[in-house]
Amino acid sequence: MEEKGRLGIPRALMFYRYFPFWQTFFETLGWKVMVSGGVRQKEKIVYFEDSCLPMKLLVTHAIQLKDKVDHLFIPRLVSLHRIYIMCPKFRGAPDIVRLATERKVSIIDETIDLRKGGVSLRQSFLKIAEKLGATKQESKKAFLEAEKSFSQFQKEWMDRINRIPTEQLFEMDIPTPPEGREASWRVAFIGHPYNLFDTDINKDILTLTKKLEMEIITSDSLSEKEIDQEVFDLSKEIYWSSGREIVGSLFHFLSGEIDGVIFLTSFKCGIDALLQEFIKRRLKVRGGSSLPLLILSFDEHTGREGLMTRLEAFRDVMEQRKENFKCQSSHEVMNRR
Amino acid sequence: MKVTFPHLGSMHIFCKAIAETAGIPYIVPPESSRKTLTLGVLHSNECICLPFKMILGNFIEALQMGADTIVMVGSGPPCRLGLYDLVQKVILEDMGLHYRWLTIPPRLTWQAIWKNHEETKELRKELSAKNILLFPYGLWMGWKKMMACEALEQLAMKVRPKEIKKGETHKRFKKALSWVDEAKTPKTLEEGIQKGKTFLQEIEQDRSRIPFKVAIVGELYTVMDPHINRGVEQKLGELGVEVTRTSWFSTHILRSLRKNKVDRASERIRFFEASKAYLGYDVGAECNVSIGEAILRSKEGYDGVVHLMPFACMPETTASGILTKVAKDWDIPILTLILDEQEIEGRIQTLLEAFVEMLEWKKRVA
Repeated sequence: MEEKGRLGIPRALMFYRYFPFWQTFFETLGWKVMVSGGVRQKEKIVYFEDSCLPMKLLVTHAIQLKDKVDHLFIPRLVSLHRIYIMCPKFRGAPDIVRLATERKVSIIDETIDLRKGGVSLRQSFLKIAEKLGATKQESKKAFLEAEKSFSQFQKEWMDRINRIPTEQLFEMDIPTPPEGREASWRVAFIGHPYNLFDTDINKDILTLTKKLEMEIITSDSLSEKEIDQEVFDLSKEIYWSSGREIVGSLFHFLSGEIDGVIFLTSFKCGIDALLQEFIKRRLKVRGGSSLPLLILSFDEHTGREGLMTRLEAFRDVMEQRKENFKCQSSHEVMNRR
Repeated sequence: MKVTFPHLGSMHIFCKAIAETAGIPYIVPPESSRKTLTLGVLHSNECICLPFKMILGNFIEALQMGADTIVMVGSGPPCRLGLYDLVQKVILEDMGLHYRWLTIPPRLTWQAIWKNHEETKELRKELSAKNILLFPYGLWMGWKKMMACEALEQLAMKVRPKEIKKGETHKRFKKALSWVDEAKTPKTLEEGIQKGKTFLQEIEQDRSRIPFKVAIVGELYTVMDPHINRGVEQKLGELGVEVTRTSWFSTHILRSLRKNKVDRASERIRFFEASKAYLGYDVGAECNVSIGEAILRSKEGYDGVVHLMPFACMPETTASGILTKVAKDWDIPILTLILDEQEIEGRIQTLLEAFVEMLEWKKRVA
């Protein structure tokens, strides 16, 4: 199929969950998908608005791409769940980018609101395809292909996180290696997907943890039911889907068979700030977990040394806990004798 | 049982009137102060919005004074206000304070009934038939007082820029509010309102002065509460600026009752429509209205706009980004004040003075 043009996807926000879907969809339609590079050190972050770091990165990435592509794909993500919604900043994101790029590039900002019903995702994507000039048949086929490759990707996801360098996680032509390294610790990483996998935000914490022999688990490995079980009895429903996932999976992992939990947040994230307070207080009031919990808040600072120290300390805590546990059980054995 | 409620501008007069008329014991939390805020800051973290901290502080102070039942407005998504109660409950519990909590839902849904069921059942036991019978009358009385407070405040906003003795309006406004607050019957209330109005109108004014017109837009709590915004309204007024705002307690009540046709609320629909040139979707809270109001005020010949928001407020952060563009496109000065727990009253005074000087300069050049 001949190439219809170039479509740019900024490497930011929900890119870090849905990129495989988006890529397959647009490539099947015959578009060349262009992804922005990292911000690294040379290029600077664009401060169009005084928002959280992930939002600033979206603007930065979009500006990087604007002259190289025919369209930018920045969907208006209102809701990605049949009941719960996304952060309000996502609703204005395409408009912010439009103003930051001075309306010089075409932005595909179709609204995605899954609260409208099961087929609304399909409808939104069919509309996008229509805007790009595809026929009904082509777009339906592309949607099916995208769904297929996305579910394949999700199956391999946990292995991919642990076996592939963070920066290549979303490079689809790199296959997942069949075997990983041995790890002595199992650590759950909680947070918005962009906080977990964007190396510009988290200074590549995943690589650091892998060096410390930790195996990474994320909330992607949990079913919706497992998450719901932890949050259904709250006095009020948490209405952000990401917030719900964070609180639910955090409580789930804290009562589970792993060694520790790390919660990554970005500075000025409204959802995380509020829920972080809730999590801390609830753990204090209700008790019930002896697992070490580390909350790391990221901003524009680029130094990694402090991060390394905290991770090492965290590992030491896990080690101490394991030893205490051993002592305790040997005590019990002694007592029984 | 002793009911308490948070502060929001002159909302305590409304709540107090309801409780008083219906014969329900209540405690008004001490006026929001530095201490209130410090308490709130101590028990939350830096990126939680300022209203959360102030309200939490109000509750802590009221509970320490002997209140035991908290009545709090709820709100829906997407802003954080809707989850204040979830988090504040845990914080108070962690502090070892005892309380009962009643959330007034923004809309009557099954979830609201189900989640408030326990509390309401207990409350019903403690309320007498007389309390319940008198409640609608209390609501009516409260609403009357609320409207009176708003009318007085609007009058004060008109008079303040022309006052000859600085600070006179503010003093008289406080006095007039207390008359409304103290009224027990519809008759004394009516007298109080009339007395207050003439009291304000009788202020010695320089009627030849043509004040600048500035609109205050932004997040509702920061716009409405003088303790949160460090008296921006008063400060601007005393610098000789006639201030307008469309965010009032009654507007938000009417909005949640879906009575959008009533004058002030319908104005907001107009603002919302105007914001569509910049925003393709309802971001939530006041975001769209802030943008739309700035655009329309510029068309209506206003001299400037002051945009207020708490630090890290989610919807208003989007608005502030867009407003910088609106200011350029429509050639209207917009001052965004981001409020947090820092003691910035002096800085705000300086910023506002500079803003007014800039307006003067702009007028001279034009």
